[in-house]
Amino acid sequence: MKSRLRENLRAYGFLAPALLLLGVFVVYPIVGTIIISLETQSGLGLGNYLEVLSEKSPSKALVIPGNLGGPPPWGALVHNMVWILVHVPLTTFLGLMLAYMLIHVYGRSLVKSIVFLSMIIPMVVGGLIIRFIFDSQVGVIPRIFDTLGVESLARTWTAYPETSLASLILGSVWLWLGFSLTIHSAAVDSVPRSLIEAARIDGASEWQIFRRVIAPAVWPATLTVMVMTLLWDLKIFDIVYAATQGGPGGSSTVLAYVMWLYFARALDYGRAAATAVILTILTLAAASYMIRRSLRG
Amino acid sequence: MASVRLEGVVKRFGRATAVNRVTLEVGDGEFFVLLGPSGCGKTTTLRLIAGLEYPDEGRILMDGEDVTYKEPKERNVAMVFQNYALYPNMTVYDNIAFPLNVRRKEIGLTREEIREKVLEVARMLQIEELLDRKPGQLSGGQQQRVALARALVRRPRVWLMDEPLSNLDALLRVAMRAELKRLQKELGITTVYVTHDQAEAMGLADRIAVMNRGKVVQVGTPREVFHEPSHIFVATFLGSPPMNILECTIEPRGGGGVVKCPGIERPLQWSPGGVERIYLGVRPEFIRVERSPGPGRWEATVEVVEPLGTEAVVTLTIGGAIVKAKVLDEGYRPGETVYLELDWSRVQAFDPETGRAIGELARTLRGLAG
Ligand SMILES: Nc1ncnc2c1ncn2[C@@H]1O[C@H](COP(=O)(O)OP(=O)(O)OP(=O)(O)O)[C@@H](O)[C@H]1O
Ligand SMILES: [Mg+2]
Repeated sequence: MKSRLRENLRAYGFLAPALLLLGVFVVYPIVGTIIISLETQSGLGLGNYLEVLSEKSPSKALVIPGNLGGPPPWGALVHNMVWILVHVPLTTFLGLMLAYMLIHVYGRSLVKSIVFLSMIIPMVVGGLIIRFIFDSQVGVIPRIFDTLGVESLARTWTAYPETSLASLILGSVWLWLGFSLTIHSAAVDSVPRSLIEAARIDGASEWQIFRRVIAPAVWPATLTVMVMTLLWDLKIFDIVYAATQGGPGGSSTVLAYVMWLYFARALDYGRAAATAVILTILTLAAASYMIRRSLRG
Repeated sequence: MASVRLEGVVKRFGRATAVNRVTLEVGDGEFFVLLGPSGCGKTTTLRLIAGLEYPDEGRILMDGEDVTYKEPKERNVAMVFQNYALYPNMTVYDNIAFPLNVRRKEIGLTREEIREKVLEVARMLQIEELLDRKPGQLSGGQQQRVALARALVRRPRVWLMDEPLSNLDALLRVAMRAELKRLQKELGITTVYVTHDQAEAMGLADRIAVMNRGKVVQVGTPREVFHEPSHIFVATFLGSPPMNILECTIEPRGGGGVVKCPGIERPLQWSPGGVERIYLGVRPEFIRVERSPGPGRWEATVEVVEPLGTEAVVTLTIGGAIVKAKVLDEGYRPGETVYLELDWSRVQAFDPETGRAIGELARTLRGLAG
């Protein structure tokens, strides 16, 4: 008994510096933010939250129910949701698919290194690149649609409310693919070759091998990618800031950008803190739901 | 069902040659065994037949059709992998059903028919109770039987089996061996079976190819490779214990000649041209151990006795050489002096340089017996 107590004390002794740092730089700011978010002119209350949630101006609104049938702006919260719904499955699937295809490619380690290099691009730069990719003069995507004769998509995507959110989401797929590919590639490489060989002898097609042998075997990696991508999408800021500033007309705002507007533009710390807390709660909820689901499955 | 033919097949991995000019012909419906020590190229040969490796030289034919560069799927072979290669995330049932499920449309089976086939093969291999488990929850021997079941559930042109029984206990192994042989004969599916267990090879094979260092040393029926080894390697690889090899000389003496082995001398009624070195091979089964001297008996000393039940393997020294004899266990004791008698009608002769059997000489030696 005594020795176990001593063990524990010693363990905490070693943990203390790290815990102290976490306390100062994580716990204290969280608690501080929550307190600030609850402070109103009439004392502590939920006033900031109600105001943030019922905000009507397109650049700061979280939900714009009236617009949901048509093109954006739909409100930052909805934009985040759409982002997740498109980005998570697309990035996950493409990364896995490419990783599997790469095992058949001679010199794949070189390809992987290049793709991995793309991950060191700062996201702000990534946002600028997105602007160029979707620019009507120099961008590759509008040029393609121009050649195809699709007028509505042959213009600068980031400049129109109909296309600005879409350009950011598609751009983020490209920016984030390296992450998905790198994680999946490591997992796919660790699947014993003999499993693929066995499946091939058993008469499975490439798609069946991918679907029934590879994908289940790398599921833990896929889950990691999905959770990380989801969290990244919830917290997304830098791309939006660099590419569209949430515009035009609030058509590409996201939660973190709204928070930044309150904080840096309106200097309204109460509402900024409330938005931050909402974001944190969503992030925590999403992460814990996915992790719990995966542990059960 | 198909015949398989390898013509001068070479497979190299970097500098190492895993399979070196192998030429083999496996007949339609034949149970063909590749036998050889670890690392001799058995698995590689099997993988070449399966289409998992492509040869650097040579051709592979099935039913006369060149399949050297065809995909495994096109060859329609089933294979039991040495390391099982079970799909870890599928249940045992799904593992066994996998080859049927993935081409269900092609072969036109209903789910119910697949179920029946899986259950049948599971029953045969005594793994019915395991069908709901995942491979990770099975013992090595159970996993191996699942791997075997996944191949046996199909009716391919060729079954390829890489040591499919190596991890089973002795009793189960014998039972499975019998089942396998029965099923193979019943369905007449051409089978190439890899093992380094000679008892298994002897029991199962229609014909055996003995391999060493990437080469096929001898191909023949179990009787042929056992009783008429074409090479000293085969002689010393087969049998337990394997054949005794004595360094002997043949010399002219008087009008005839003599064969001189350590501690043993025997006159020949024919005169060799000069002194010739040979390796004389005698199986331990063909050496008798007597307690009294007599004509044609040679003095030896018992060194070690390994009882095997009714029989015993007795290790003896005779004229500085070591000889093993497999005899009835008569309670020989180490240090005891005994007298050996060779069954000269069963001896083999090998060229000391090349290791090849010298059939003519062996026949002469045998003919002079008695
Ligand atoms: N992928 C590979 N890369 C390099 N060398 C290999 C490879 N596969 C086999 N070899 C070499 O080729 C030789 C034959 O190997 P193989 O696996 O065919 O032997 P084996 O007869 O099946 O042996 P065992 O009874 O131990 O299974 C060995 O020397 C091995 O080291
Ligand atoms: Mg092997």
